[in-house]
Amino acid sequence: MPNFMELALDYAQSNAPVWLQPTVSEGRQLWEKQALPTRKTEAWKYTGVHNLRQPYAVGESTAVALKDLSLSLPDLDAHRVVFINGHYRAELSSDELPQGVELVRFAQATAEQSAEIAKYLGTIVSKHDHVFASLNDASLTDGVFLSVAPGVVVDKPIQLVWITASQTAAFTTTQRLLVVAGANSSATVVEHFAGVRGEQAAFTNGMTELLVQAGATLEHYRLHLEEGAAMHVGGVHARLLANATLNSFHLALGSVLKRIDVVVDFQGAGAHCELNGVYLPRGEEHIDYHTCLEHAVPHCTSSETFRGIVGDSASAVFNGRIHIHRDAQKTRAELSNKNLLTSTRAEVNTKPELEIYADDVLCAHGATVAQLDETALHYLRTRGVSKAEAEVMLNFGFINEVVDGVRLDTLRAYLRPLLAHRFSRDPHLARHLA
Amino acid sequence: MSQETIDKAIDKEYAAGFVSDIESETLPPGLDEDVVRFISAKKGEPEWMLEWRLEAYRTWREMEEPEWAHVHYPEIDFEEVSYYSSPKSMEDGPKSLDEVDPELLATYEKLGIPLHEQEMLAGVAVDAVFDSVSVATTFRSKLAEAGVIFCPISEAVHEYPELIKKYMGSVVPRRDNYYAALNSAVFSDGSFVFIPKGVRCPMELSTYFRINEAKTGQFERTLIIAEEGSHVSYLEGCTAPMRDENQLHAAVVELVAMDDAEIKYSTVQNWYPGDAEGRGGIYNFVTKRGVAHRNAKISWTQVETGSAVTWKYPSCILRGDNSVGEFYSVALTNNLQQADTGTKMIHLGKNTRSTIISKGISAGKSSNAYRGLVRMSPKAQGARNYTQCDSLLIGDRCAAHTFPYIESRNPSAVIEHEATTSKVSDDQLYLCQQRGLDAEKAVSMIVNGFCKEVFKELPMEFAVEAGKLLEVSLEGSVG
Amino acid sequence: MLKIENLHASVEGKDILKGLTLTVGAGEVHAIMGPNGSGKSTLGHVLAGRPGYTVTAGTVEFLGQNVLEMETEERAHLGIFLAFQYPVEIPGVSNMEFLKASVDTMREQRGLTPLDAVSFMKQAREACAAVDLELDFLKRGVNEGFSGGEKKRNELMQMMLLEPRLAVMDETDSGLDIDALQVVAQGVNTMRAADRSFILVTHYQRLLEYIEPDFVHVLAGGRIVRSGDKSLALELEEKGYAWLEDEVA
Repeated sequence: MPNFMELALDYAQSNAPVWLQPTVSEGRQLWEKQALPTRKTEAWKYTGVHNLRQPYAVGESTAVALKDLSLSLPDLDAHRVVFINGHYRAELSSDELPQGVELVRFAQATAEQSAEIAKYLGTIVSKHDHVFASLNDASLTDGVFLSVAPGVVVDKPIQLVWITASQTAAFTTTQRLLVVAGANSSATVVEHFAGVRGEQAAFTNGMTELLVQAGATLEHYRLHLEEGAAMHVGGVHARLLANATLNSFHLALGSVLKRIDVVVDFQGAGAHCELNGVYLPRGEEHIDYHTCLEHAVPHCTSSETFRGIVGDSASAVFNGRIHIHRDAQKTRAELSNKNLLTSTRAEVNTKPELEIYADDVLCAHGATVAQLDETALHYLRTRGVSKAEAEVMLNFGFINEVVDGVRLDTLRAYLRPLLAHRFSRDPHLARHLA
Repeated sequence: MSQETIDKAIDKEYAAGFVSDIESETLPPGLDEDVVRFISAKKGEPEWMLEWRLEAYRTWREMEEPEWAHVHYPEIDFEEVSYYSSPKSMEDGPKSLDEVDPELLATYEKLGIPLHEQEMLAGVAVDAVFDSVSVATTFRSKLAEAGVIFCPISEAVHEYPELIKKYMGSVVPRRDNYYAALNSAVFSDGSFVFIPKGVRCPMELSTYFRINEAKTGQFERTLIIAEEGSHVSYLEGCTAPMRDENQLHAAVVELVAMDDAEIKYSTVQNWYPGDAEGRGGIYNFVTKRGVAHRNAKISWTQVETGSAVTWKYPSCILRGDNSVGEFYSVALTNNLQQADTGTKMIHLGKNTRSTIISKGISAGKSSNAYRGLVRMSPKAQGARNYTQCDSLLIGDRCAAHTFPYIESRNPSAVIEHEATTSKVSDDQLYLCQQRGLDAEKAVSMIVNGFCKEVFKELPMEFAVEAGKLLEVSLEGSVG
Repeated sequence: MLKIENLHASVEGKDILKGLTLTVGAGEVHAIMGPNGSGKSTLGHVLAGRPGYTVTAGTVEFLGQNVLEMETEERAHLGIFLAFQYPVEIPGVSNMEFLKASVDTMREQRGLTPLDAVSFMKQAREACAAVDLELDFLKRGVNEGFSGGEKKRNELMQMMLLEPRLAVMDETDSGLDIDALQVVAQGVNTMRAADRSFILVTHYQRLLEYIEPDFVHVLAGGRIVRSGDKSLALELEEKGYAWLEDEVA
């Protein structure tokens, strides 16, 4: 493995809390043993990591006001935890938490808490299938452990914000979240990545592990709003036990490189997952979503919808795998991926995959790539809508089905104008949508 | 429905599994430059052909066997394979059918392919390839009247060297992949077809391939050239005896459809699939590809029921504007058979169109994968693809996979892909049985219904044959 | 013709029929009515031999033979026809080839030669016309994309072609408008014959206004709790089923 991450790895080795040190050093060993993926690596066929290979400084703690970063976070009425460049910012975070919810930062964990965290940390992700998982382990100095006690229904969403602000040179940060939703509990978690459009590269290596225990329901949102040179490689790894429900929504605006793996492992009968996503690269941006639903046990259901709009010289990759293991009978799994190309230089590579080892299952997938429907465009124009405005409306309409599925009203209200404006720099054109 | 009934319904014998007692000259196993020279000399080839083979051989030596397909088999020892086998009676080459060994003719009769012209299927010309050599090509004079050339490729090397030099390897280059390189080095025989400008081939052309000798590989090579505005329909059938060891079959098929030409290529592949325990059977590693020029159309239809392992992706390069590519496939695997098959549609020209209909049926403990690529290049303005991939599972120990690669770099191109999986449902069987049909008939009817969209693409008499073949191949899978 | 004695049957371990006794003579039409969940449909499936329907006690004799020992298709060969309440779709298999296969098998079982294509088409055409189905339906996949009413008429059409000895009509009337109902009723009435019996399973009296039954039975709790002539159906229409259930309890 080339040593472009050396500074961050050394930093973690000397700064990680003592109880995390075995994780850090094992992670480093594994990372250094592996090779960076190439175009010949099937899972990286369409995504090159050449942009990553530069020396990175370690993210610095900066005391800044959000408005100085010209960032606005959704007004969610949420419990909020904010990190800037990988460092916890108390002044931006709220500390009171409802009964039955425990939120512990790795760096602050007591002996008892760290023992609890260590029980779950790294057990949900399959490290040998994901090269960058070991890098995440190897660069850990902090992270968030969120635990919801059995039976507890958390009324307010819990929002975790990771901001990449500017530094003087290319830098790297590590994000790690571990959620354990206890049996029959119910909670909403919003992961929010935001960044300042900076000239120099920032590389976030992120990893979230979700354990949804029997009968629990987890509403999960992962918003990637960083743009420009803010690279992100990482993913979400979830495990569902019997009758658990995970509703997971993903959004990615583009940046030079974004690669997100979402893996859902069904380990208990009767579990259900709804996985939805939207990706909108433009300019020279690149987004790669690799999703994998591991149906390992019978009687589970999954429904997955991803929509992408790719403009300018941008490129997008979607790989949606559904794996029905032997004996996972009565599984129902559906996947739909639709893409719009809005420029002659844009590119989409999609591969919905089915791997099925049980016969009594209902599985289907569909994928399309096309441009905006000319007849719809024409229809709108005959009704007096300008071509530009009609395009914005139709683009928005293309993803609206997925955005409408966002259950959190305040979040939906925050996202709609943000997305509408993504399709036009002229706010007037999006006025009917926001 | 009980596993027993299903089993009963699918368990039938491989009907083409007999061995013909024919004395043959077979090269000892192993592959080196001398073997390549031997094969070339055997065919009395000119120097340029030998050089072409040797270059392929050297390329092959440097290449690695592909491992990405969803199939598993013990490593093939390429030194254990014999690369040439010919019936002794063919040594001096028969001048006409009357000189062909009666035992050989009997073999083809037994397979239902009479080679005597008066007995033949009306309107179908047949080239029969037995192990490494072509034994008979029928209706040649009638075809010649229309200007159509239909002959063994070994003969074409002598008779039409300019065409061979120009087109052989032009669609599937020697270094295209491991098996294509191997084939280019040691190919023994196969069919050559040339349809001149504006000619509509007056009859169906077909080739029957038969592996007879033990421990031999078969490496046939087919080249079809359809000149401007011409039209041809070609069908190949394949069978092999039942043997305990695996046998290698690595063929290359190249199609060239010039402007406004149309080539319809149909395959009924029924190589020996091995027994219920997975012993024996053919390794079928085949490269098939066609280039379609302006307004041309290439249509692949395949019914794949045989072989222990299949690795095959008949593809279309849609080079010319408005060209059309089609792929209709039924792949059935039973017992321990494995298939990784599909197609590539490479859209280069404007307004090119492609359709992919793939029906995979898995039974027993078999594994059946569809692997496909649809690529829209930046210049493929207005191109369209529609893909429908359906899998049917029979029994709970089999596997069905779908790996469609979709790549688009043109916003005006439209790609639609859909895939489903299903099983033969208990309710469907019950309805059929309530109406008096037994389980076997019911399953075979349901499976045939599942494959209907593909069968209707086959020439009539072969569609019937394909339906029966499915029925036989499914035996023992109903339970 | 059909003799059911003390029939007990269960589905997925749940007892549905609990001692049903019924005798149907040649040429008779019996209506079986009853509330939802009383076991009406189960009776039809047990007679037809649906997998998963386990007979735990009792006997069923049809034309002097013990049908419980027989495979589904053997019972069909003997002349038992079930018109399904929810006929399944079989994509790709055309109605025509399905019917031809079925008719040929039935004829073979009766020692007859298969019909040639022309005579078969003639019969199929007539059957289609009789149930008011477009000829187009013969070319379409079995029940594929048919509306509820079309599926029911398709079942009736099959019955006409197969000429069973005993036809069990499982709620063939449900979901039909009045016109379709009359088509079905007329179909059944023209099929009535001295050597053919019918069991009409229905929830409503409505059908019986068009097909006059010889007997009406009420099925509740897995048993026949009351039998009578067609006036019983009218009584049920008026009072509902609750009073009967109370009576049984």
